[in-house]
Amino acid sequence: MTGSLAGVRWGDTLARVVVILLLAFAIFGPLANLVLWAFAERWYFPHKLPQEFGLTFWARVFAPRGSALASLWTSVGIACLTVLSTLAVAVPAGYALARLRLPARTLILLVFLLPQAVPNLPVYVNIARVFYEIRLNGTITGVVLVHAAHGLVLAVWIASAAFASVDASLEEAARNMGASAWRCWTTVTLPLALPGLIASAIFVFLESLDEFTGTYFVGVPDVTTLPLLMFNASMGGNYQIASITAILLLLPSIAFMLAVERFLKADVLAMIGR
Amino acid sequence: MRNARITLCAALVAVGGALGFAGPAAAQTTINVVTAGDQNMVDYVNNFLGPRFEKQNPGVKVRAVGTGPGDAGSQKIYEKLSAQQKAGIASWDTDVAVVHQRGAATMVKENLLAPYRNDVAAGRLVTRDTARNALGQNVDGYVIPMFHSQIAFAYNPAVVRQPPRSYSELAEWVKKNPKQFGYNGVKGGMSGVGFVMGWVSANSGMADQLEKGPYDPAKKAVIDRSLASLKEFNQYVVMTPGNAGTLDMLNRGEIAMGPVWVDMFYTWVADGKMPPNIKLELPRPGLPGQPMYYVVPAKAANAQLARRFVDFAASPEIQAEGIVKQFNWYPGIDAQHVRSKMDEKSWNKLFTDISPEALASYGRPFPLSEYFTDILEGYERVVLK
Amino acid sequence: MRSRPWAGLALAAPALALVAIFFVGPLMMSAVLAFRGKDGGFTTEHFAKAFELYSTDLLFSAVIVVVSTAAIGAVAIAIAGYLTLGEHPRTQAILRWLYRWPLFIPFIVTAQVMRTFLAKNGMLNHVLIGGGLIDPLQAQSLLDWRGIVIAFVWKQAPFVTLLLAGAMAAIDRQHIEAARNLGAGRLRVLFGIVLPQSRRTLLVGLVLSFVTMLSVLSVPMMINPNSPTMLTVDIAYRINSHGDYAVANALCLMSLVLASFGAWFYLREAARKVERT
Repeated sequence: MTGSLAGVRWGDTLARVVVILLLAFAIFGPLANLVLWAFAERWYFPHKLPQEFGLTFWARVFAPRGSALASLWTSVGIACLTVLSTLAVAVPAGYALARLRLPARTLILLVFLLPQAVPNLPVYVNIARVFYEIRLNGTITGVVLVHAAHGLVLAVWIASAAFASVDASLEEAARNMGASAWRCWTTVTLPLALPGLIASAIFVFLESLDEFTGTYFVGVPDVTTLPLLMFNASMGGNYQIASITAILLLLPSIAFMLAVERFLKADVLAMIGR
Repeated sequence: MRNARITLCAALVAVGGALGFAGPAAAQTTINVVTAGDQNMVDYVNNFLGPRFEKQNPGVKVRAVGTGPGDAGSQKIYEKLSAQQKAGIASWDTDVAVVHQRGAATMVKENLLAPYRNDVAAGRLVTRDTARNALGQNVDGYVIPMFHSQIAFAYNPAVVRQPPRSYSELAEWVKKNPKQFGYNGVKGGMSGVGFVMGWVSANSGMADQLEKGPYDPAKKAVIDRSLASLKEFNQYVVMTPGNAGTLDMLNRGEIAMGPVWVDMFYTWVADGKMPPNIKLELPRPGLPGQPMYYVVPAKAANAQLARRFVDFAASPEIQAEGIVKQFNWYPGIDAQHVRSKMDEKSWNKLFTDISPEALASYGRPFPLSEYFTDILEGYERVVLK
Repeated sequence: MRSRPWAGLALAAPALALVAIFFVGPLMMSAVLAFRGKDGGFTTEHFAKAFELYSTDLLFSAVIVVVSTAAIGAVAIAIAGYLTLGEHPRTQAILRWLYRWPLFIPFIVTAQVMRTFLAKNGMLNHVLIGGGLIDPLQAQSLLDWRGIVIAFVWKQAPFVTLLLAGAMAAIDRQHIEAARNLGAGRLRVLFGIVLPQSRRTLLVGLVLSFVTMLSVLSVPMMINPNSPTMLTVDIAYRINSHGDYAVANALCLMSLVLASFGAWFYLREAARKVERT
């Protein structure tokens, strides 16, 4: 009896290990390619792995005139500003969409979706023209606005879903106990919706950090970001440079996510305790 | 914890502020060079041309930006210039651009470029036809070629003992060696497009008319007939994902032969991504080639400096040292001016696989833009359906 | 909840203005081009041409995104479900750490790594052959519609999973415990209790993925730009090879119609939800 139970448990563990290993391969297999190419100096058929590793291409990316680091910082700065400006308008909009009576609600939701749903190239051509007219071209503000419009749907839709999932009876209870509308919102509604808002911030950040078409039309040549370099290299089949830039872009993404998640746990727990 | 959050916000705002105010502080003139093509062209401007030009011109800073490979890269430059034209901007943010033929033709047609070739000394060193004509559009005076590129078959001699010398030999060869030839159709970049153009030139019997005109819309039927045989040909070949996709499949030994841009090919060799035994070959009656052009936008903010920059970049010394020696690319200005500036060995390296004679006879221009469109749309109707 | 419509509108106004000015306006400038003939008058000839040349690609795009969305949903439910209901903390921790990585890889890099991973002589086949799982002669390239689907699922499934896992974590544990105590299996709890309560978030993630995949150029461009391919490739091709914005914009609008079908699912659900509150 105990023997067969142990057998079941063993089988269970084995299955779990196999599934995790398969998943790890599915995720890290392609990523391994990325890392290999970042350090490959020579790699061609029939060799299954690079014949020669080195840092030549890293030197090329970091060449003093290549300004990769400067564009990395620009990218990160733009992404942070995009998150701030997007959340500033998306939180009220998401709340209104989830909780308030709104005419043409469906239409409004759809409008936010447009920038994500339409192939962007032809539209950015027009944006460039408008931005030249109002002298926004070549400015950080211009790039942030374009990124914000593009990432807004992530923030608005996810925020709206987050607010909608907050139990309305909790808010009513707070109001019944005499809390003002603002106090109720900051102590009950917002903390409960916070995980969703945080998630949307991460997505908006990533979206902005990886964007290149809008940046080109609105920013270049005065504002250049790292994804522009990544795009050129990748489309031209320059795997080494593209892989290196992708790895560089990984760092701020992961840092942002870790930072934000730290806040999330501590904050939410603290709020709930109150 | 709340304090920490405020700190984070403050930090973000600070980053934003720093970015906003960190404008150009030095009293320098920056000349913006926007280039289509691969990343190594941006690197070339940044690391080779830039420092040398800045040394000659104190107080000037060269800034290079890439817009991506292929006609898509040139189209993006066109779109930005056109946007500035339509917005009525007095001084444009691009001083020098490097574009493909199609881009240059459109830009000249829409008055986006300045005629500058006669203002600069290097302008007298280019006499070949492509310096005056791009796909049937007269671009005389508006362009100076940076380098000339050519489409050729890259092949693996271990598999392809005797490379096919013509399109009919190729059609036979693929039947005996199915799925060993690969090209990238018409939607994935110009090396595939060029192959299709070469095929139509060879099989329609109107090669000269395609290149020199006159344009006759009634010839669509002839073009479609020659494309019908390409449909059959396609059953025996691999379709590759883009210009780089063909090189990529050669890199992994998945195909043994395919049309590639010679300049891209040498870049892949230099980057350690091409087996060293791969060779190049130009089939009869030829494959198209085209130059990349230096152009100066009509309202370039630093118009004079831009001219000086191109004059410098197209000078025989720079062409010899940078274009030929560093990249193994065919020079943009006439060969004799460049050849005299360099050692015989480096010069001959250009012609390792393809002799100067073969290049002269089988390196063709692209068809006139009207035929170009007819062939592409014919391909979509006849071959892809 | 009672409120006057203007209060909601006022809160939504800044966001709406941002999208309207910086996207919808320029989009309209493009959209009219799709209907304008050479003489400046109204025409549908660009749509006729778009249909004639690219109707197969329209269908192909639709099939690709529908299949990808379904697969993304399945993966996300499986991972998020295990993260919520699993009973093995260490496995859950590993899984939570593991599944997110593709989130940080841009589409274009996803396309690039998949191109070298899924190719006939790529790493996947090397591993399969090395492990004795397939014969070298059986090795085949996955760089066709399958490659596009794999790249999309790889990149987007973590996105939906992250959202869904968050929504599932927010569900009152008491419901789950109660059901478990009554003897309900974990699958039953997942599909009977957890999923219905996080359904809306799942839909948001899936619809966002659906429309994003329709507008991504780099994945089909680098994996399979040949016929049949996705509409984004055709749009880029019309612009870059023909300078033909009219047909390109017609294709954009067709793509938008496809996207609206996807959005409709969410909007229907969202509308229902509001009626209930």
